[in-house]
Amino acid sequence: MHNKRKIQDNLLKSLTIGAALMTASALFIVFYFVFTSGFSLLSFDLLVSDYKTEQYNTTLDDTIETTMFEEPEGNEAFFSQIYGISLKDAENKDAEAIIVIDYIAPESPFNTLKSINENETVNASEGGVITRISFENTSTALTREGAESMINKLDGGHTIREIIFVEPGGGIRGSIIATLYLIGLTLVMALPLGIFSAIYLNEFAKDTRLTRTIRSFIDTLTGIPSIVYGLMAVSVFIPLTARFNMASGLSIYAGAMTMTVILLPVLIRTTEESLASVPNDYREASLALGANDVQTTFKVVLPNAIAGLLTATFLSIGRIIGESAALIFVMGTAVRDSVYPSQGATTLAVHIWTLMSTEPANVELASTIALIILTIVLILNTTVKLLAKKFDKLGNR
Amino acid sequence: MDTAFKIENLKVAYGETVALKNINLELYPKSITALIGPSGCGKSTFLRTLNRMNDLISICSISGEVYYHENNIYDKQCDVIELRKQVGMVFQKPNPFPMSIFDNVAYGPKRQGVKDKETLKQIVEKALKQSALYEEVSDRMDASALSLSGGQQQRLCIARALAMEPEVILMDEPTSALDPIATQKIETLLDDLKKEYTIIIVTHSMHQAARISDYTAFFYMGELIETSDTNTLFSLPKKKQTEDYITGRFG
Amino acid sequence: MNVVVKRLVFLSALLSASFIIIVVVFVILSGIKPFISDNEGLGPVSFIGFITRTIWLDGPTFVSNMYGAGYLIANTLYIAFLTLLVSLPLGVLTALFIAKIAGKRTGALLRSIVELLAAIPSIVYGLVGAGLFLPVIYNTALSFGIQTNGGNSTLAAVIVLTFMSIPTLTTISEVAIRNVDLSLEEASLALGTSKTQTHFNVVLPAAKSGIFSAAILAIGRALGEATAISLVAGNALSGPTFSLFNRTATLTTAMLQGMKETTGLDYDIRFSLGIVLIIVILITNFALNMLKKRVGKMHAQ
Repeated sequence: MHNKRKIQDNLLKSLTIGAALMTASALFIVFYFVFTSGFSLLSFDLLVSDYKTEQYNTTLDDTIETTMFEEPEGNEAFFSQIYGISLKDAENKDAEAIIVIDYIAPESPFNTLKSINENETVNASEGGVITRISFENTSTALTREGAESMINKLDGGHTIREIIFVEPGGGIRGSIIATLYLIGLTLVMALPLGIFSAIYLNEFAKDTRLTRTIRSFIDTLTGIPSIVYGLMAVSVFIPLTARFNMASGLSIYAGAMTMTVILLPVLIRTTEESLASVPNDYREASLALGANDVQTTFKVVLPNAIAGLLTATFLSIGRIIGESAALIFVMGTAVRDSVYPSQGATTLAVHIWTLMSTEPANVELASTIALIILTIVLILNTTVKLLAKKFDKLGNR
Repeated sequence: MDTAFKIENLKVAYGETVALKNINLELYPKSITALIGPSGCGKSTFLRTLNRMNDLISICSISGEVYYHENNIYDKQCDVIELRKQVGMVFQKPNPFPMSIFDNVAYGPKRQGVKDKETLKQIVEKALKQSALYEEVSDRMDASALSLSGGQQQRLCIARALAMEPEVILMDEPTSALDPIATQKIETLLDDLKKEYTIIIVTHSMHQAARISDYTAFFYMGELIETSDTNTLFSLPKKKQTEDYITGRFG
Repeated sequence: MNVVVKRLVFLSALLSASFIIIVVVFVILSGIKPFISDNEGLGPVSFIGFITRTIWLDGPTFVSNMYGAGYLIANTLYIAFLTLLVSLPLGVLTALFIAKIAGKRTGALLRSIVELLAAIPSIVYGLVGAGLFLPVIYNTALSFGIQTNGGNSTLAAVIVLTFMSIPTLTTISEVAIRNVDLSLEEASLALGTSKTQTHFNVVLPAAKSGIFSAAILAIGRALGEATAISLVAGNALSGPTFSLFNRTATLTTAMLQGMKETTGLDYDIRFSLGIVLIIVILITNFALNMLKKRVGKMHAQ
């Protein structure tokens, strides 16, 4: 009999421990996958480059003096001594042959190519692709002839007529800027609205039916899935922004309004809690000194609730960065390289969606973006926790 | 005479604070022993050492021996669960499970593997009769235990303990949360129970101790000051502290 | 000046409260159009038909008004409840572990892990689902001779949603478990039962109502999740899909599909889906809350 109970107990215990292990492993699975798929693409370049691949027709800048270059250590590609670049054969995403710039010496004239049509300077960069180089007195170096052949022709000393250079794209600068715009605009709208609402509810409102109704209406917002907010935004905020000539169609302005509504209940609740945690003694003391309730609220209560407000702000930022469904409807899924608040754009999260819902899905780049998002979320969460600890200590003097 | 418990040199500490020291005591079977003393004197702590409920408190440390049936219950081989089957406990505030009256009483036996419905029914009925509750609840055994009054809930807890057919029942101020009528019902009950069970009862009321117990032990500031049969202790206390407490010079 | 400020904060609160009305009104306004207007000659969509039909669109786009969301409703509920079936035990047991079995440090660590899981955006879960679980499901199913659409399946959706539901379930269940009166545990132990027996026969049942609330919250989120599922579900155009290995689609994934036009029936019908989704969530919430009250009867005084 005891043994039966012991066996049963141990079975249940192992199930319990097993469940906890599975939950813990869920976190590691997510981080492991995102890290291994996305880390290799992570680079500073990624954060600042355009998304679109761009083709440039260029020539060399005549004003630059050329010297002989030394082959770099451990170079495995084909190196041009005259121009200081090394090229190698590779395959692009569609498995087509391309010639990739493996290395560019700092003084190589390839750093400052002149665009033929636009009269602008183009910087060839490592990872960039050279499609074709045509020369004065010899046959054009083509991709299908291979990198070695192109290098040989370069070092053959002939004058270069035209270099067709393709920038790889795949950068997320646009999405980063769009995300920053969205965060800024949303906070500008949501913080005042949320904080004022919370101030009214906690400091001035009396317990009437109206107050309770207001509260319950605000609370109901939390139960609505964000995709429904997207629908609402399309039929309310997009026409609204058009009406006020802020935008026509998809825009970050509309996105910010949408995020404001989504964030409102949490923002108001967190703010209310931190206002409520300010001891009444403070309010009474201030009133006793002759200040009225408005002054008391703004000069005494609010400053003491700063910790909670900061927490609410960080939580909001995290939520904005993570939102996808609603923004797909209201800001669109087109990745932009130049971002304007009056136009649609993709935030980092929506960029992941765009990458994953095209054929074939770009899992690597999506994972890199996910890695960035997770890091930011991690930092925000830790900051919030540290803030909570710090202000807890101060409060319990 | 037979002893139910023999306690030798017991010392109990919570971390740095010493709650009990130098406790040497014998507890006799099929009788009621009352543990009295002012608040904080350690009587509840002492009670909980008898069924090793102090094990639940991680900073609690114990030295000395507590013999139950010739075996030191603080020995490594002692099976705590077996011990608690034989040494039951009723708490100060009634704590019935949020289940039906029937399920509350049947809880112990069910966990020990009793499955047969008839057997369970008999066990439950017997226990409820022993705790003088059966008549009041026989028609609503499936009702929630929380629908009973405070006094009834406490008798339910007693029935729950009795269903395990223990030898000893430990009671930690069982009537302090109850009104006088309910208290009296339980005191009458205890008078009946002591014929079959060994009852150790902590009470903050000396009057209760004088009313119902056969033996009394007086604790003060973590030490056992005096113990003897109730009549002697209350009429001819040996120690001055005992006399002072009994005559109400401090409480 | 003070009056101005007071008025300002009051108006803010009013505005905040009005958003729920705006959401409901405008979604209904657009969503009801397909059912009551002529849809540019196509004729109104039958509401009963809409909520019962099992094919998304019977006929070519722009020519037919035979939209059906019936199978989507079935799929949405099916997936949500399957997810609960898997994630509820996982979440509750993890909560039990943290609250009662783990030491202080392990418990704190696990709690942080769960908080982190809660903070991960849903799109990332969708990404992991699509990048990691789809191939795994595809290959595993293949080795058993089962064909899947590249792994897109009900199973994939349930896995992704389980990941997302566990944090909510664990956190709220943990609170409920902690709130169980210690004296109940003491009473059980004093009767000679083991700790594990006490956990499963007293503590968890006593925490029932809190755990139920956690489940209701988790299901609400599962019903409304869009981007994560749509990356792994497969966009089935008919259904319902009860097999774990077939493509599926939910109300939310259908809302995300093919947003090419900005006017017309094909566009407005998404709002209708929105209305249906809200109704489904409301009814589910109501039903589960009723259930919760009945389950809690034993706790009544």
